[in-house]
Amino acid sequence: MELRANEFRARAAANLGDAKLQRGLGLIKVKAVVNRASAVAEFGDFEALRETGKAIRDRALADLDLYLERFEREAAARGAVVHWAENASEACRIVVDIARENGVKTVAKSKSMVSEEVGLNDALIAAGVTPVETDLGEYILQINDAEPPSHIVMPVIHKTAEDVADLFHAKHGTPRKTDPALLTREAREILRPKFLSAEMGVSGANFLVAETGSTLIVTNEGNGRLCTTLPRIHVALTGIEKVVPTLEDAATLLRLLPRSATGQAITNYVSLHTGPRHIDESDGPRQFHIVLVDNGRAKLLAGEMREMLRCIRCGACMNHCPVYQAVGGHAYGWVYPGPMGNILTPSYVGLENAVALPHAATMCNQCGVVCPVKIPLPDLMRKLREEQMARGLKPWPERLGLALWGRAAQRPALYALGTRIAARVMKWLGGNERLIHRLPLAAGWSDGRDFPAPAGKTFRELYKERRK
Amino acid sequence: MSARDAILGRVRSALRRKVSPGDTATIESHLAAHPVGLQPPRDWEPELRFRARAEALASTVEKVPGLSAVPGAVARYLVVNNLPTGGVCWPGLRKLDWIGAGLGMEDRPARGDDLVGVTGCFCAIAETGTLMLLSGPDTPAATSLLPETHIALVDTARIVPFMEDAWALLRAERGRLPRAVNFVSGPSRTADIEQTVTMGAHGPYRVHLILVG
Amino acid sequence: MRVALFVTCLADLMKPGVAFAAIRLLEHGGCTVEVPRTQTCCGQPAYNSGDRATAIALAKKALAEFEGFDYVVAPSGSCGGMVRAHYPELFRDDPATLKRIEGLASRTYELTDFLVNVLKLDSVPGDFKGTVTYHDSCSGLRELNVKAQPRALLAKLPGVTLTEMNEAETCCGFGGTFSLKFGEVSTQLADNKCGNACATGADAIVGGDLGCLLNIEGRLRRRGDLKTRVLHIAEVLAGRSE
Repeated sequence: MELRANEFRARAAANLGDAKLQRGLGLIKVKAVVNRASAVAEFGDFEALRETGKAIRDRALADLDLYLERFEREAAARGAVVHWAENASEACRIVVDIARENGVKTVAKSKSMVSEEVGLNDALIAAGVTPVETDLGEYILQINDAEPPSHIVMPVIHKTAEDVADLFHAKHGTPRKTDPALLTREAREILRPKFLSAEMGVSGANFLVAETGSTLIVTNEGNGRLCTTLPRIHVALTGIEKVVPTLEDAATLLRLLPRSATGQAITNYVSLHTGPRHIDESDGPRQFHIVLVDNGRAKLLAGEMREMLRCIRCGACMNHCPVYQAVGGHAYGWVYPGPMGNILTPSYVGLENAVALPHAATMCNQCGVVCPVKIPLPDLMRKLREEQMARGLKPWPERLGLALWGRAAQRPALYALGTRIAARVMKWLGGNERLIHRLPLAAGWSDGRDFPAPAGKTFRELYKERRK
Repeated sequence: MSARDAILGRVRSALRRKVSPGDTATIESHLAAHPVGLQPPRDWEPELRFRARAEALASTVEKVPGLSAVPGAVARYLVVNNLPTGGVCWPGLRKLDWIGAGLGMEDRPARGDDLVGVTGCFCAIAETGTLMLLSGPDTPAATSLLPETHIALVDTARIVPFMEDAWALLRAERGRLPRAVNFVSGPSRTADIEQTVTMGAHGPYRVHLILVG
Repeated sequence: MRVALFVTCLADLMKPGVAFAAIRLLEHGGCTVEVPRTQTCCGQPAYNSGDRATAIALAKKALAEFEGFDYVVAPSGSCGGMVRAHYPELFRDDPATLKRIEGLASRTYELTDFLVNVLKLDSVPGDFKGTVTYHDSCSGLRELNVKAQPRALLAKLPGVTLTEMNEAETCCGFGGTFSLKFGEVSTQLADNKCGNACATGADAIVGGDLGCLLNIEGRLRRRGDLKTRVLHIAEVLAGRSE
């Protein structure tokens, strides 16, 4: 996927004025957020469940090498082929090679963020293989000139039914219709033959179960099931961090994931795949390949971002983030938007390529309190800011301002003098209204807000006067 | 060095492993014990809970006294809902008297244009109103997936409280996982367009559950 | 009981009345209030900007200034949260200081939390009359669990009617330097907050953090609303709001 994370500031500002996007984002507050809240309340002790989920993910990460080896052994014993990819290009090469060796012309794809991360569709197209996105949202994006998704669970949250109506009318040549149910049926009818004719299905995996060597996917549409049942080859592409020890651990995480993502107690389908079809079965793929992708994950395990590897990709952090709710997913400029993206994007593509993202948060911690596996997202963003500081990745005016302020704050007499002057200057700037309309050096504030001016003396001065 | 060794090497160095391969004792004990995590309080009777949950997920539910009453119930459901009276069923259900109920049920693999699919289930989960289906020669996965209408028979004696109970049943009865375990909770749906919930995305538009017992 | 007032840099510079109101409330609760004279800032701007060294230096400075008191009280969930929730993290590799910092953190309170849960005030001196709506600041709410405390105190004022706004717990968009770096986004969030607050028809928007209040008031005035008052909870409770 094209990386545009360093354009965050400009794209975020532009998106504030996009009425259609704002309408879609507005729905998150009244639907996803409300639905999650009621599902969480209905469960009972959801806080204890979050704690349990965190412990499961931490257990898996603490022995990640051992669980991965166990997963590989069990999967291979059942006839799956396990591949390892160090980076995006290796992951693509592995999948393309499987397609080539088997004469694959069409690939039916179920939603996979890792496939977006590694840019699989482009690699398949370059190799003469046609990928067909089958998740409704991803399909809409694909036929709209491969537009990137703006949310990891609801990829077309930025589009209205009218947009989809125009697109289907133009691309399918069918009569224009706006009813989501009819649009969904139209996509179903177009995609059904693709499922039936595709030689290969590509899915992600929400979890890898070490105990049994199984991949697990959750879907609502059923496209994930079709992609993993009908084509003669199934390739599951996922990150190495997705491993969980046991079926019971998966069951616990399944109580957290759909509730946090969409407010469902369970998704319509939860599918667990272990090995290819048996000789006497009438369906299921004849080859089952599992591609385990590192692409920066092992490096995170070693550092301060390790807790991010607990992430189960529910999207609750973005649904609840006031910044995401205002600017939408495209502003973040890569695969993972919102608070998770503020950490994953700089971690995977380099801090220098996503300079603004660790700062693209008010640190309100709404994300941290809804995260089903208790990732302290603001703390991790702050650590990335520290790394930026250490690596000199901050612009000089900011560094200078911070240094001057920091020096003064450590010298009370100097600080008292500085604030004394500042209070008087601001009082003067505020005039009779006691409102500053233009703040020198801080247009970011005063372009859209006044600044209430102080009365002219600091507390320090007044307190001294009153004590006399 | 292979990608596998490089990745595992990085993981081991991140975890500061001193010996290679690592000591598997800690993971072995967890895998062997496979402890149950946190479940919601069980203040319900499984069959009632299953039914209520399934209905909340937009499945329809009815109950018949025994397997012999199933073809009649299927026929009534299809006729009342103006649906075709023929389709495919799991080979394991071929012995039911479909013809006697006026139905043309074929015990063959489902095709893309089949409209009705009849399956059983391995067990059902009360907590979430979920069916657990195992793939196999007599229980193909596509029967519950390709047709627009999925009718599933649920033995009330096999409604277990939680998913963990379903895993325990599977371990006890089968010993190992089939190729595919599919948990099904109502008709296929999507909310991708304006977060409007729409049934029948790629799988069945409707799921009808016939409790037997 | 000797209580030190952590004035906070914003109260010192922008709204001294908030600090005087806090002193009045603490004295009303029977405290001996002292104001360490060399205090400046808790260090949060440095901490959140990634300048860990300056944050540590300022935390040590605060430790020296405030360590000797029974309690430290700040009219801010943000600064209180910095001390309570974040200072210990700064000294995770310095066990000797960590122990002292943890002691300081455990004795540091946000003002309304202190008034309700330590002093257990049964009355407040204020005489505010009118309807108010309360904005829950993020740090106070999510780091210090400040939610019921300000409402319990407002309920002690017979002339005050509290009307809750929609999304009272949603961030106002201030976020310290965020408000400068991402001005447009910050302004949009402030605008959402103003919309929700004004929809209640309240005479005053009240909160516990000056950062949020400057942001909300700044947007409110730019929207052309010169009437709705924006007040710190201490001003309302102490009865010294202008």
